[in-house]
Amino acid sequence: MLNEFFLWLEYLPLAQHIGATWWFPLMESLHVVSMTLMLGTILMVDLRILGFAANRYAISTMSSELVPWSAVSLTIASVTGVAMFITRASTHAVNPALQIKMLLMVLAAINIVTVHCYVFRGVVNWDAGKVAPFSARFSAGCSLGLWVGVFLAGRWIGHIV
Amino acid sequence: MFRDIAEWLANSPAREFSAGLLSSIPGLPPILQTVHLLSIVAIMASIVLIDLRILGLAVPSQQLDEMIVRLRAWTVWGVIGAIISGILFVLARPNRYLLNPVFQIKFILLIGVLILTVCFYRWSAKNPFSHEPGNNIGIAKGVAVVSLLMWIVVVMAGRWIAYSEYLFWPG
Repeated sequence: MLNEFFLWLEYLPLAQHIGATWWFPLMESLHVVSMTLMLGTILMVDLRILGFAANRYAISTMSSELVPWSAVSLTIASVTGVAMFITRASTHAVNPALQIKMLLMVLAAINIVTVHCYVFRGVVNWDAGKVAPFSARFSAGCSLGLWVGVFLAGRWIGHIV
Repeated sequence: MFRDIAEWLANSPAREFSAGLLSSIPGLPPILQTVHLLSIVAIMASIVLIDLRILGLAVPSQQLDEMIVRLRAWTVWGVIGAIISGILFVLARPNRYLLNPVFQIKFILLIGVLILTVCFYRWSAKNPFSHEPGNNIGIAKGVAVVSLLMWIVVVMAGRWIAYSEYLFWPG
């Protein structure tokens, strides 16, 4: 059932077109540009929360000015990622590197929701300080670790196919 | 020029060493490629973000002179990390890379944008934006547009090396 869905994706005219033309390297290179910009902006916010960098700026300022860039980059990376996935959907779906990548991305998403719904609630109390509460530093550390894992697993996909 | 270097590298012990290293350590190629990507992340978080700040597109609260000083080390280590993680692949298969037109374009643009970046850092240290913002920002905006485009093309070209036949059909 699921496999039939993946095969259906593969046989979409769009998927066939991407897989057979210069669209594929275009998607792949846009994926690299957007994901590096995404992690670059996430990295700055996380290092600020950890108290390692840019401590002269308030955490909420860093976050409100950089998160939109992370979000737009993540959207572009997701669209280009799906565009590549559908060209070989049924093969990619059983690729362990891609499965690990998806798992790590789910964990990163849970981390983001937790940070924005719970951890950031009392941000006004520690916004300008160098030392954020443990929960915030823990989330920032998890975020960095998870995204590095996503990059490594993502890069590994092509070495397994 | 590229042909001569490729020929020289192909016969050097460095080729054998790199090729042996990449094929004998399991997982080394994807790990090095990830280091390459993370180095690009450092470049995105420093030079590219400064370019976007100069153009008024990102981080308006951050002070430009302070940003340039604070992020310099990120640029330096990003470039060093990218070169170290990339060079093993070039050394292992010099003909595949050095004779590839997309690699040649990437290499020349990279040298160009590195020179531009060094010049920009030196110039901005002598002419702080906080002192005479009116005159400097015009020049800086021009440099930022060129730098931004060059970095994006360099990063994208990296992926296109494997697909150069779409752009340059041999023969």
